[in-house]
Amino acid sequence: MKALKKLSRNPYLFVGLILTVFMCLVTLVGLVYTPYDTTAMDLSDKLAGPSLRHLMGCDNYGRDILSRVMEGMRNTFVIALLTVLIGTVFGVLVGALCGYFGGLLDDILMRINDVLFSFPSILLALVIISLLGTGSFNVVLALGIAFIPSFARIVRSEVKKQAALDYVQSARLMGAGHARTIFVHILPNIVPVLLSSVMIGFNNAVLAEAGLSYLGIGVQPPDASLGRMLSEAQSYLFTAPWYALFPGLTIVLTVLGFALLAEGMSEK
Amino acid sequence: MKYFFRKLISMLLTLLAVSFIVFAAFAVIPGDAAVSRLGSNATEESVAALRAEMGLDRPFLERYLSWLGDCVKGDFGTSISYGMPVGQLILDKLPITLTMTVLSLILTVGLSVPIALLMCKYARSRFDRSMYGLNQFVMSIPAFFLGILLTWFFGMVLKWFRPGGYVSYKKDFGAFLGYLLLPAIAIAIPKCAMSVKLLRSAVLTEADKEYVRTAYSRGMSTMEVLYRHVLKNALIPLITFWGMTVADMIAGSIVVEQVFNIPGLGRILLTSISRRDYPVVEGIILLIAVVVLLVNFLVDILYRKVDPRLEDQG
Repeated sequence: MKALKKLSRNPYLFVGLILTVFMCLVTLVGLVYTPYDTTAMDLSDKLAGPSLRHLMGCDNYGRDILSRVMEGMRNTFVIALLTVLIGTVFGVLVGALCGYFGGLLDDILMRINDVLFSFPSILLALVIISLLGTGSFNVVLALGIAFIPSFARIVRSEVKKQAALDYVQSARLMGAGHARTIFVHILPNIVPVLLSSVMIGFNNAVLAEAGLSYLGIGVQPPDASLGRMLSEAQSYLFTAPWYALFPGLTIVLTVLGFALLAEGMSEK
Repeated sequence: MKYFFRKLISMLLTLLAVSFIVFAAFAVIPGDAAVSRLGSNATEESVAALRAEMGLDRPFLERYLSWLGDCVKGDFGTSISYGMPVGQLILDKLPITLTMTVLSLILTVGLSVPIALLMCKYARSRFDRSMYGLNQFVMSIPAFFLGILLTWFFGMVLKWFRPGGYVSYKKDFGAFLGYLLLPAIAIAIPKCAMSVKLLRSAVLTEADKEYVRTAYSRGMSTMEVLYRHVLKNALIPLITFWGMTVADMIAGSIVVEQVFNIPGLGRILLTSISRRDYPVVEGIILLIAVVVLLVNFLVDILYRKVDPRLEDQG
């Protein structure tokens, strides 16, 4: 009851939660069921407009756009989740070590970190992909690496703040080793900060993946991807604007849901 | 002045580190540049000959230093696929990317300041709240999707411009600017929404302070107080944000270029990546790094101009 009351007083959290849950549900349903086969072509339905049979219309091969959007969402979610996972795990490791121990290692790593951080992540990912080659796996790796600096930066400053507090001193005096102090005592205290940056990171990953796929170096056909659908839809913008509209709107709503959720959570 | 030189040296050192990372990254890639140039069925002798010609048989550090020396002199090597010097190739396209970035920055700053102040004037009113919601929505739109929507609306519904009808800046600068306006808007709008959000909260924090009350008590109007007193202080955190945004805008322009079919740096970068034309990729990355570091440097200097209190802290 109390949680419900809190929700009704916080419209961002409310709308964000509904949007996010809806998007996640559609994605989950997409794992087991899509209205049509995502690769089934039906040339008689070529560029058909939205109708009851095809809610989002059909693409230039007569494939059902809704089904492909669902598959694209799945790919986007998986890539974004793995990206954030890589970014968080390594970001926490680097950030915690630097923030806790300080010293020369901190100076050097943070210097590199600052340079990487000021470099746009999508460009960083582009460079890494140019080294590794295209494909979904390499996109995850490239984006994951590109996301490490931003997490490392946040974790470092939080750990630094915590390390100066009394409870850390007490833990050390009670005989806790460095590893135990960092992982058992300090890290749980920075989870709230980390959580909101994970959500923002997820959004950035969704946007970056869409951008890379739009450029043709992300998810490769025949796998559906929202970014790729947008680039394909551009040639039919005049005759079938909905072909671009629905994949694009899906990206916007996904990002919006998480953004509102993060916004609502930071508002107490 | 001392601060200026310290920052300058730190920037140059960082640039040195970046150049090393870039060179090292492209030196360890799987696949030999000589082999990829000759094809996989080349004889061992011809590969070895080409390796010697390209200088690939020399030690790593030596190769780095000679490459660095060439870069400083403005020689970034020769593009394998375009068959022309990388420096010239980039210099040709640089004005396009820079113009787009500058245009979007002007739009972002020019639009976000009045909008944010207007929201602050009517803070917590229905207008403020609906703008805040709209802002959140706009922030979630990727620039390239916005570009597609703008193309569709202005190019196909209203027919105000011809999609794909890019005009080179060498031919007609006015038409060039006109064509770049929509891409710049597509890049600027999401960034503008972010600045509005940041600026609004910065202004509202400042507005609670005593000097603001003093200004009001002297009979100034709300807009006067906001523009003449509050804005100056509220802009300090925004300068950092706009500095970082420039880097994002360059990256954004590379994607949005494709939406509007503009033959700029982005197209060269993408073509070079798919053809594994590494000298070009290295050159572009290095160039963007220089721009990013230069902007950071300017932000640091500007920061102290806006906030003289920092002068005392050395």
